[in-house]
Amino acid sequence: MRPAKGSTQPLIYSMPDPAAPTWGRKIMRQIYQQRYLFLMVLPFVVWVIIFKYIPIWGWTMAFQDYKPHLSFAEQTWVGWKYFVELFHDRQFYLVLRNTIAMSLLSLLCGYTFPIMFAILLNEIGRRYFRQIIQTISYLPHFVSWVVVAGIFTKLLAIGGPVNQLLLALGLTDKPILFMAKGEYFWGIVTIADLWKELGWNSIIFLAAIMGIDGNLYEAAQMDGAGRFRQIWHITLPGIRPVVFIMLIMSIGNLINIGFEKQFLLQNNMVKDYSEVLDLYALTYGIRVARYAYGTAVGIFKSAVSIVLLFLANFIIRRFNDDRAVL
Amino acid sequence: MQRRRAFLFHLVCVVLLVGLGVGSVLGAQKPLVLKMFSYDINPNYTGFEDPIGREITKRTGIKLDIEYPVGDPEERITLMIASGEYPDLIFHKGAGKFVDAGAFIDLTPYIEKYGDNIKKLYGPYLKRMRYSLEDPSIYYLGCFGVDSEIWDVSGFQLQHAVVKELGYPPMRTLKDFENAIKAYMEKYPTIDGRPTIGLSLLADDWRFLITVTNPAVAATGGPDDGQWYIDPETYEAIYHIRRPEEKEYFRWLNHMNDIGLLDPESFVQKYDQYKAKIAQGRVLALTDQRWQFEEAERALRQAGKFERTYGSYPIVLDERFKRADLWDPGYSASWGIGISVTSKHKEAAFKFLDWMASDEAQVLVNWGIEGVNYQVVNGKRVIPPEEFARRTNDPNYIRETGVGLYVYPFPQRGDGQLDPTGNPYTPTTKDYIKQRYSAIEKEVLAAYGAEMWIDLFPQKSEFPLKPWGAAWQIPTPMIEDLTIPLQRCDDLCKKRIPEIVLAKPADFDRLWDSFQQELIDLGIRKAEAIFTQLVKDRIKLWND
Repeated sequence: MRPAKGSTQPLIYSMPDPAAPTWGRKIMRQIYQQRYLFLMVLPFVVWVIIFKYIPIWGWTMAFQDYKPHLSFAEQTWVGWKYFVELFHDRQFYLVLRNTIAMSLLSLLCGYTFPIMFAILLNEIGRRYFRQIIQTISYLPHFVSWVVVAGIFTKLLAIGGPVNQLLLALGLTDKPILFMAKGEYFWGIVTIADLWKELGWNSIIFLAAIMGIDGNLYEAAQMDGAGRFRQIWHITLPGIRPVVFIMLIMSIGNLINIGFEKQFLLQNNMVKDYSEVLDLYALTYGIRVARYAYGTAVGIFKSAVSIVLLFLANFIIRRFNDDRAVL
Repeated sequence: MQRRRAFLFHLVCVVLLVGLGVGSVLGAQKPLVLKMFSYDINPNYTGFEDPIGREITKRTGIKLDIEYPVGDPEERITLMIASGEYPDLIFHKGAGKFVDAGAFIDLTPYIEKYGDNIKKLYGPYLKRMRYSLEDPSIYYLGCFGVDSEIWDVSGFQLQHAVVKELGYPPMRTLKDFENAIKAYMEKYPTIDGRPTIGLSLLADDWRFLITVTNPAVAATGGPDDGQWYIDPETYEAIYHIRRPEEKEYFRWLNHMNDIGLLDPESFVQKYDQYKAKIAQGRVLALTDQRWQFEEAERALRQAGKFERTYGSYPIVLDERFKRADLWDPGYSASWGIGISVTSKHKEAAFKFLDWMASDEAQVLVNWGIEGVNYQVVNGKRVIPPEEFARRTNDPNYIRETGVGLYVYPFPQRGDGQLDPTGNPYTPTTKDYIKQRYSAIEKEVLAAYGAEMWIDLFPQKSEFPLKPWGAAWQIPTPMIEDLTIPLQRCDDLCKKRIPEIVLAKPADFDRLWDSFQQELIDLGIRKAEAIFTQLVKDRIKLWND
């Protein structure tokens, strides 16, 4: 997009010069010069085209009364019918609200806590102790959601440990049915997610912290900065680029939160709070064989994701000119 | 070292060659593997490697590779249709999606050509397997026993210990049911050190229908027509939760919750938690179907806690109603096995199904292997006492022997039907059922003046003919005005009914009315009109 920093384009090229090579030639020469780089990148470009661009052809489905056994020419076209239906469905807005709410919560907690955790971990002096803590903290990442959901359901059951604790402490006189209260559902999902992913998400921040030049800390110590000052003035600014890039990436995925955790933790009582877009597409698109409707939901999601991605990039560019990735 | 390595190398070569040789010799007699999709999960399936599966392979040269759905089978089916890749055999519960996608072959010509056993087994009911008035092809073979006698009934369930303790009070209405639970619970607040649970329901996914909404129809005298209630005179279909009678059933559930007799975890627990509670013997009452809690009951039997197993009672809302559990819907053939258009072995697959319908196969799958699972004494098939005890009480019996594993969903003869030798096709007879009763079960039955649980219920002969069969077996074509409101209403029920049951009794009427209004707003009336037409079409199709 913009010229890389430090590239000094000689002014003369921008002036008409009969001897200068034409644009096409120039590009060809550049490609030839960098042919190995292009070759190296080729497989990935092909991969992206096959797996990310060709499937976009399937979006045509959303505008048809799609029947899988008919060929493309035999499908009936229905225009925007399914989109109109989608935007007239009350359920859809409920589901959208849940998706965005849970997504924002997990973004909020999924950011602040791993960063804090990484910084605290970094402050631990003993290397072995630090590594042990780190390993323990990211192990839950490898546990399947099925198991995590099972653990949380048991923990929060009427006779479960959480209720026993609350009763023993006298904080409540009747056991609380946590899993049956819609208001608690977002919180439960977020906490479960945090427990599972905290350690794993902190790895990248920890790596960024490791990359900060040690001399900076020494210099700061010389100037009499305490631990908190060092964190504030060296560690945090040091990992800022990583934080921003991770933020952009997750904002782009804000609406794609998947449905495993919600699906596994939900029950009929909390459906108003637990159903997310993907689950909605599954029930009203795939389950009842309305492939077109499911595709329409998918297109909506993609459109929202693209908007969010540009938005995030724009905001960050406003804050800091160097960090935008697009 | 060098020599040793060479020796090892030669050894490996020899082993490989021998392996290849043996492999190719065996390959000559390798059975034909047919892929099959089954809508229902069968935890006892062993990859066709149990004794009965191997015997079937020996006799037919066919081995089934059965795929069971993980999670929601409907989703698996739609994905299968979208991919256009079907297994050879498909067991479905409602062919709508498949037929819509042209996935099944018409079996009529095959039945004419190779289907002698199938013709014999289904007899006059082959006609009922035709798909619809517009498309009278036969796409699948029905999965239920033909002309089966009903000797087993679920009703509403109470532990034997409860009725025994209370001196066998009359068990007719919900009030009787409630009083019994209440009295016992007050006497025994804990069972084996754990808190006693009065009535437990299960709302996990589709099981919601079985223990929460279907009992509302049953307690108000309706037959099991799935989500529908069909007026026996006008054949008008109504989404059954809209019947005013059922409001009173849910009012009772609401009351049960209010007085603490309903398990507070009823709408939250998953199937395994539910089974675990029952197996601990601390749930006094259920409104379930026997096939659903059977496994937990087997565990109770194995632990010797026979007094904690359940009796079946014809509980109704009040004396106006008559339980229709024994109302025979006739043979409703709409779930079953079809052969896919993409199968490369259509003929072999059909011949296999025909063989499964033969007398030889029926005896094999129902009784097992002669001399192992049963004996023939004086021309009569008998199960030796030791085998019988295992069959009744051992949860692993089916898995280990394969007996009974390949009956459903394949073509099968009904209970009580006799083969040419005068023996019943299935070991289930009145005597067999009575034999399976435990001592305390017999005691309870005697106290109520009955021999079998069905004796407590209004008999089959008291009901008129049911010309539409079972409405839950009417194949629903993919009509958007029917399938979408139905899906939405089913989802709404799963949300609202728990809320209503757990609400304060004072709020009940208000919540119920707004729930009813929501159903109407979702377009249930239009869906009812379409379904009424389907019922009428079916009656016409069966009687022309």
